[in-house]
Amino acid sequence: MGEVRVIEVHEDVFAQNNEAAANVRQLLADNGTFFINVMSAPGSGKTTLLTALIERLKDKITIAEMDVDIESSLDAQRVADATGVRSLQIHNGGLCHIDADMTLRALQEFNIEGVDLLILENIGNLVCPAEFDTGAHRNVMLLSVPEGDDKPLKYPLMFTVSDVVLITKTDTMGFFNFDLEKARERILKLNPNAVILPVSAKTGEGMEALTSYLLDAVSDQQQDS
Amino acid sequence: MELAKVIELKESILENNDEDAQVLRDELKEKKICLVNLMSSPGSGKTTTLLALNKYFDGRLRWGVMEADIDSSVDAQTMLDAGVPAVQLHTGGMCHLDADMTRQGVRAIEETGLDLLFLENIGNLVCPAEFDTGAALNMTILSVPEGDDKPAKYPLMYEVADLLVVNKIDALAVFDFDKERMERDVRKRNPDMKIFYISALTGEGVEELAAYLMEKTKEWNA
Repeated sequence: MGEVRVIEVHEDVFAQNNEAAANVRQLLADNGTFFINVMSAPGSGKTTLLTALIERLKDKITIAEMDVDIESSLDAQRVADATGVRSLQIHNGGLCHIDADMTLRALQEFNIEGVDLLILENIGNLVCPAEFDTGAHRNVMLLSVPEGDDKPLKYPLMFTVSDVVLITKTDTMGFFNFDLEKARERILKLNPNAVILPVSAKTGEGMEALTSYLLDAVSDQQQDS
Repeated sequence: MELAKVIELKESILENNDEDAQVLRDELKEKKICLVNLMSSPGSGKTTTLLALNKYFDGRLRWGVMEADIDSSVDAQTMLDAGVPAVQLHTGGMCHLDADMTRQGVRAIEETGLDLLFLENIGNLVCPAEFDTGAALNMTILSVPEGDDKPAKYPLMYEVADLLVVNKIDALAVFDFDKERMERDVRKRNPDMKIFYISALTGEGVEELAAYLMEKTKEWNA
């Protein structure tokens, strides 16, 4: 039966990916590296936020960054130029996500010895990246104010799998019709444990809270290993 | 209040989507329905743009919308509440629609009698660009807050689109958005791209866009 076979193939793909993800997580934990996977729609401000964040963290911990894009190298270059941290551009050749096996292959190219925090900037997409465990210790997603407070209703899986939801571009709140309480309610309904932080890379709002959240997470991980 | 009808799309089993898309396109040409495949990032204003167009379409042509989403019926409900015929298509987690899925939607709305039918695709700049839906016209929206670098980063979308609508231009003052850079990147891939600048919120530029779409509909249905 064709249909049954398709389902088996899908399960197989995800089972294999879960195994690869567990391997990535173990490899990084052994190395004392905390790994976050950053996801969002295109243009919600991943690169801008990460550049501002790395600037605040780089004197305290060692950071490395990996950028996934279909074919351009704009982002990795931007992060490297602005912050001076090591940055790797991954071209995934048109795919809409990155999985654990691709992460593993990237890690083989990218020496992470001595790295405390590894950041993966995923493809700008709210659908596919949510389906694939990359092996990250935490999933962080960005919802920018101009996108609207209805996104949790329309892309539920992304909000379900994210440990941290950053509401970005909060400096434009007065300009757009964005109901923060409604957004919060919709996110918590899907994911009661989500940590929700409103931030603006431009004005610096919320950046302190995000910085200390990550520093705590990194130090917890290193104590455990 | 009329409640939005929801169609749960079945994954298509056809191997050759391009062929199937051409079959659908021919059928729609025959039936005089101009299908526009509307694509963009999440939150760039697809639904709001359609609502803004209604002011100019209303009474001048018969039009309707197929709203595709992973889940939820908010968009179809919004259109219905505005008096526009609409059906909600659920892709069941998939990030795009192909021609066969589009056909399932067309079957659910065509009896309304339409000159112009929009497929509001899943909010995504990657997957929808890869699948021909059988549309007469591919339209994409880039909103100012997303940034001027999107054509450089999602080239295929700008290659397959016939029409680019730059939305939220009322927010140009709040964001760094270099129109020239953006247009240069678009023209590199697609020298013939038709570009409109609008604000679906204030209505700026919407009349010109509506006129263009009505003209295209007339040409297609001639």
